[in-house]
Amino acid sequence: MVPLAAVLASFVIGAVILLMLGADPIEGYRALVDGAFGSPKALSHTAMKAMPLLLVGVGICIAFRASVINIGGEGQMIAGAIVSTVVVLNVGDLPPLVLVPLVFCAGALGGAIWGAIPGVLKAYSGVNEILSTIMLNIVAVQFMNFLLRDPIMDPAQKTSGRIPQTERLSANADLPILPGASRLHIGVLVALAVAVFVYVLLWRTALGYRLRAVGHSAAAARYAGMPVKRTIVAALTLSGAMCGIAGAVLVFGSESHRFVTDGSSVGFTQSAGFNGIVTALFGALHPLWTIPSSFLFGGLLVGAETMQRAVQVPKALMVGLNGLVVVFVVSSERLRRVLRERADRETNRRADHSVDDPATGAGRSTDSSVSGPLGTATP
Amino acid sequence: MRRFKLRSKRQGGRIILSALVATLGLLAGACGSDGGSGGAATTTASPSTTATPTTTASPSTTDAPATTEPPAEFRVAIVAPSASNDLAFTQSIVDGVAALSGVTEVHVTDGTFIVDEAAAAVRAYAEDGYDLVIAHGSQYGGALELIAPDFPDTAFAWGTSGNTFGLANVSAYTAASDEGGYVMGAMAAALSESGVVGVVGPIEVGDAKLYVDGFVAGAAAQDAGVEVNVNYIQSFSDVALAAEAAQGHVANGADVLTGTAQMVVGATGVAAEHGAKWFGTQANQTPLGADIVVASQVYKWEVVLQGVIDGIKAGDLGGEAHEINLANGGLVIEFNDAIDIGDVKAVGEAAIAGLGDGTLTTAGPPAEFRVAIVAPSASNDLAFTQSIVDGVAALSGVTEVHVTDGTFIVDEAAAAVRAYAEDGYDLVIAHGSQYGGALELIAPDFPDTAFAWGTSGNTFGLANVSAYTAASDEGGYVMGAMAAALSESGVVGVVGPIEVGDAKLYVDGFVAGAAAQDAGVEVNVNYIQSFSDVALAAEAAQGHVANGADVLTGTAQMVVGATGVAAEHGAKWFGTQANQTPLGADIVVASQVYKWEVVLQGVIDGIKAGDLGGEAHEINLANGGLVIEFNDAIDIGDVKAVGEAAIAGLGDGTLTTGS
Amino acid sequence: MSDFFTLASLVFVVGSGIRLATPMLLAGLGEAIGQRSGVLNLGVDGVMLLGAFGAYYTILETGSAVAGILVGVAVGLIMGLAYGVITVTFGAEQGISGIGIYLFGLGVSDLLFQKQVGTPLPIRGFSDWHIPFLSDIPRIGEMFFQHSVLVYMTFLLVPVVAFLINRTTFGLDLRAVGENPAAADSLGVSVARVRYSAIMIANLLAGLAGAVLAIELGIFQQNLTNGQGFIAIALVYFGAWRPTGVMAGALLFGLVSSTVLQWRTLGIVSGAASSLMAMAPALLTIVALVVISRTVGQPSALTRPFDRGK
Repeated sequence: MVPLAAVLASFVIGAVILLMLGADPIEGYRALVDGAFGSPKALSHTAMKAMPLLLVGVGICIAFRASVINIGGEGQMIAGAIVSTVVVLNVGDLPPLVLVPLVFCAGALGGAIWGAIPGVLKAYSGVNEILSTIMLNIVAVQFMNFLLRDPIMDPAQKTSGRIPQTERLSANADLPILPGASRLHIGVLVALAVAVFVYVLLWRTALGYRLRAVGHSAAAARYAGMPVKRTIVAALTLSGAMCGIAGAVLVFGSESHRFVTDGSSVGFTQSAGFNGIVTALFGALHPLWTIPSSFLFGGLLVGAETMQRAVQVPKALMVGLNGLVVVFVVSSERLRRVLRERADRETNRRADHSVDDPATGAGRSTDSSVSGPLGTATP
Repeated sequence: MRRFKLRSKRQGGRIILSALVATLGLLAGACGSDGGSGGAATTTASPSTTATPTTTASPSTTDAPATTEPPAEFRVAIVAPSASNDLAFTQSIVDGVAALSGVTEVHVTDGTFIVDEAAAAVRAYAEDGYDLVIAHGSQYGGALELIAPDFPDTAFAWGTSGNTFGLANVSAYTAASDEGGYVMGAMAAALSESGVVGVVGPIEVGDAKLYVDGFVAGAAAQDAGVEVNVNYIQSFSDVALAAEAAQGHVANGADVLTGTAQMVVGATGVAAEHGAKWFGTQANQTPLGADIVVASQVYKWEVVLQGVIDGIKAGDLGGEAHEINLANGGLVIEFNDAIDIGDVKAVGEAAIAGLGDGTLTTAGPPAEFRVAIVAPSASNDLAFTQSIVDGVAALSGVTEVHVTDGTFIVDEAAAAVRAYAEDGYDLVIAHGSQYGGALELIAPDFPDTAFAWGTSGNTFGLANVSAYTAASDEGGYVMGAMAAALSESGVVGVVGPIEVGDAKLYVDGFVAGAAAQDAGVEVNVNYIQSFSDVALAAEAAQGHVANGADVLTGTAQMVVGATGVAAEHGAKWFGTQANQTPLGADIVVASQVYKWEVVLQGVIDGIKAGDLGGEAHEINLANGGLVIEFNDAIDIGDVKAVGEAAIAGLGDGTLTTGS
Repeated sequence: MSDFFTLASLVFVVGSGIRLATPMLLAGLGEAIGQRSGVLNLGVDGVMLLGAFGAYYTILETGSAVAGILVGVAVGLIMGLAYGVITVTFGAEQGISGIGIYLFGLGVSDLLFQKQVGTPLPIRGFSDWHIPFLSDIPRIGEMFFQHSVLVYMTFLLVPVVAFLINRTTFGLDLRAVGENPAAADSLGVSVARVRYSAIMIANLLAGLAGAVLAIELGIFQQNLTNGQGFIAIALVYFGAWRPTGVMAGALLFGLVSSTVLQWRTLGIVSGAASSLMAMAPALLTIVALVVISRTVGQPSALTRPFDRGK
């Protein structure tokens, strides 16, 4: 209820802005909803957009659950795209049945490598992962630009045009389109499967338990004899792997079936490495809740395009409104918590501990719907 | 010198002309019309309203007022198919020439409906040394094409036509008579009480067809319920048949009539007899019936001919095609104030206004033509995206334009392209070379939708994809040459994004141009590896200045950072893609501006005619798609000449950019 | 390469590096203060964009660079107030709300620019101020003393912020609140007040950083900052929450950028290799941190909302 109210509140503000810009908010929002959810085609667009958000989002769930702040989704997506592209450029003759799974694995590998680097740096050299992942994003972009301008550039483009892109990648690696769909491909099933996999990983395996334990309190985990450093590396590696799959999906599920750069990071990733963080946090850092969350944000992004076409208001408005949605939702959390605590107090007559106590502070994330475990100390 | 030469030539010519006149056994006319502002020129025409062949002779130029500084002699000859005072086609040119200034003598050979005779007259005038010989009849074209090359120093004008045969001494002129037709049609539909309107036409060709088609379209646009009956009587001269056709229209209930060509004088009589209203064209036809002629479309050929004549005097004998239309004042709708048509006049005026500003087209009830643009940066980036948005805005015949800008993400652009195609847009423009890979796979899904992709020279062999590209190396070369000439320090700086596509083309051209101008000038190129990092572009410009550069250039949307640096250090700037003068009126010397409309108009016209694409187009200096716009606020002295020389050299092929 | 090692070239590279470092340093100083109080703000880039647009638009309309700076600062303050309400009063998750602020700033600055301005028209800011005498020193003067006043102001803020954090009562409270808010609270320090102040100062500097960027460039464009706010956050970690450390990081990043830039200008690197060189600032920042191998921990209460739990 509260998140919905927050969404509504931001849209009211958005309506005011639309009116100030001389556009009809009703028409604009109708176009937005229609474009996002109004037809099978719209839903398919939204699912396409949600796919990378979900993959990155569940990757973020792994990292943030372990108290590792992975801002490097963008770079890890690029790394996944690079490795999967290079693989297909070399063994593109393999039959689809082999090649398509290989594409996902190669993407995961690329992302894992790019995630492992900040993991190792954090665990063994004390380099803060926010710093290293932000910097590695920059490195990945330029490495992509380098590769697409020479080593893996479309041979046809080397002689004329010089568009920084690969050739049309082997059709055997095209992600198969779902039956009855026009563009929706199996990436969406893979993303859903990955979300379930991550859920199982986090809550049904020893590694998952370790990840969450380190996330709660590295000191306690260390005291309990857990390999904290290796767990941190694992968290970033796995997180990166999921982002890497998203990168591969963006190449092999794209309209052009090529790897293309415009020189910037967003030009390839569509900011999914970044929006995926919002998606994950909106989904309470729970892989399964991240599924509807990714669908909502994917819908807003798709709808924004439709709205831009319908009322000629720049889609930048939707970017701003997404920001407001996020802010309102997290702000209303406190209100909800206070309400709940008051109810608790009245039933139990037992005073709560102060919420800023480290242990409970981190533990909150398990029962509160959006707060994440960002607040634990580094080892 | 030239005057004496001409005069001596003329002496011989006149004898030949006299002989011609004699052998043809033509009558000399006595009815003169006004002689134009030159004061000396006198035109005489036959009094006959029929198509009797008539030759008129003008008094010699010695009749010119003997002022101390007599106007330079300029003699014009007209060869026309009907009578000079036919209140129609021929009269329009005679009146037009009479209205020209700077013409000292006009000779008219009218009534030459036999093409071979007309050809002989044209040749005779040319031999006689006339400065401009006007072949006023589309049927004369074939002859003129063969005659004109024999007289390379004589200027010819041919109408109505848009074709100069590629000859440098032939000007073509035509009238957008469909525009007037449209206006008349709209008024006729509004005026008709019976709901039936009649049209009397000659043969379904040229100017007549244009007028009639416009008329039908205008009537349909005004009131689709009005019935417009068109009768082409298959003759330009059969007045009786025209009268009979008009009778037929009236019998079928028509209470408003129109018609074109000289034989309609028969029809107006019928209209007057039955009280039907008449709409005229080619000349003001009110004299044919002051109580029935509501309005006339009048051709003011002087609007384009004055330029032709001025050009000839300046040594430019022709080579261009001209059009008179409502917008340039060459077509004027003259109302007959004696007839009160109430609100109908407003209908006409609305149509005139709509055609003039391009919101209406004569292609029937404004033919819907929707164009969508998908582009990577902002519409007003003063660079790449702005060039296409401006280009499409300059197109005619487009009823709606939708822009999805800022889509630097290829897959989002692809989704937008697909959405526009699904929405049924007539032309979807994917304005970004990086979009090609996606378009190649999308376009086959929409075989009935036309796509355009730029900048690229590749259509993927698809029949519904047009490719367009800019020879931006040409502008780069011109800029480079000027930059090298302008630089005092001998160092020039270039700020580029990534070494790809259009940017690379421009920069390579620039470097080549600078080297060609002055090999001693050092050109430092810095590709900053980003299309968007404004701060880095600024710093790159700082670096160039620190290294001694006093002239800078750059391409792509992040250069707005570099121009600020140039302004701060007083360095000069050369822009590209759009006119970048707004970025610094005191530093931007010149800009290479992309005029995509030069190629896109053809693409759109093709689509309307059913040709969805399949070709690659290029804008360049020669076809006017690339234009170097100078900032006149900055005086660069001789350097401008350097630029103009480079433009001329690249235009005529004597220079190449080396790429 | 020999072109590069001329005095003139090296002098330029230093000056250029300083210019590139300035906005990042300003924003980084602010972020350091905020984090010292226990509040992470991932929205720096968004606030910078809003400050940049505010300053740009003001100057475009009024022609006054001072007014532009003031508007940039005011925008920062307003965003700081909002962020205070969100993170302190409502105790919202800081990571996510910071991203919300970023998206808000990115979208709204872009929207307002497209609707209010459209075509990027240039503005005039402050001309460079050559500090008397100092700027006349050969080389040194050129490198350090021929910049815009905004550059001097930024670097002067480094000792000011250091003094504020280390030598004032406010700084003491700030650090206490950032390390152990409960203890600070028990000593009578208002955690909320201190954090509000810190956040306001942090965002003020972010807004100012944006204004400085826009004024120095004399232009605005969508996403003008191009991620500089995020680099500023990274530099706070690089500098271990110390103003001098942040400055060192900013200068390192700026100088490596300017070096690569100069190499391209001189044609020392070109073609595809220049993409590889563009990685250098980011790579070297990481490598430098590995080599220095700091052991300093972050403020213990960073990202932890405080609730007295009455």
